[in-house]
Amino acid sequence: MASLIHCPHCGVRPKEEFSIRGDASLVRPDPEASDEAWHDYVHIRSNPRGRYREHWQHVAGCRRWLVVERDTFTHEVFSVTDGAATAREAGR
Amino acid sequence: MTMPYISRHPLENRLPLEPGIRAVDHMDVPRGTAIATVMAMDGEDAAVAAGLAVAGDMSLRFVAPGEWLAVSQSDTPEGLCRNLSLLLAETASVFDQSDGRVVLRLSGPNVRRILAKGIGIDLHPAVFEIGTSSNVLCGHISINLARTGENEFELIVMRSFAESLFDDLRLMGREFDLSADFSAQG
Repeated sequence: MASLIHCPHCGVRPKEEFSIRGDASLVRPDPEASDEAWHDYVHIRSNPRGRYREHWQHVAGCRRWLVVERDTFTHEVFSVTDGAATAREAGR
Repeated sequence: MTMPYISRHPLENRLPLEPGIRAVDHMDVPRGTAIATVMAMDGEDAAVAAGLAVAGDMSLRFVAPGEWLAVSQSDTPEGLCRNLSLLLAETASVFDQSDGRVVLRLSGPNVRRILAKGIGIDLHPAVFEIGTSSNVLCGHISINLARTGENEFELIVMRSFAESLFDDLRLMGREFDLSADFSAQG
């Protein structure tokens, strides 16, 4: 597990200050989408070995939701961005 | 006689540790500190930061983007909130936290080593500069840590965690005979 996370608001922090909130690459389906699409969105998760985008919440710090891109095998952290900024960029 | 719960300081049972003894590393606990949270409305971060920068008679603690704690030793809780509300008007929400938070001031040559036992960030003055503040985890308790001087730190903790944090800090400071007492100024 990546042990040091560079929070864009608070600086370098130990992972104990964060709470992991799951896959950040999921996009919520249309309300009218099929049951299969909703089932996949709610329940089905991949467990990749390698690069992974995840929501981490800095619960003991600024309490912001962050998007952490990390490697689940080498523990390398590629980027940490604020969740709101990432969502704005994606036009959501 | 009935006493309102909030008129009692949460560390009343623990302090003073040893009356009259003040070691080089000391924890000072002010009884009455006015504290308020300031939260900027959506998109008003910069305006609120600029407004707070000119507000006198209080110090600011960074919590999160668009969120601060305003701390004042001289003002009353009501006065602090009134001043902030007038100053920031429609750009921010201001809430009194004076009864909900406890301030602990640590000073002395070894405080950095004491805090390093529970806090996972670099406390060197070149990294955590004088005047900076941030929310950090101390042991398992989330606090707001501010550096007020080279060897002076101010911790702000939620009231219900104050006793637990106090016990942790005593343990962390036992090596250096950390002393603790209520502030003389009240």
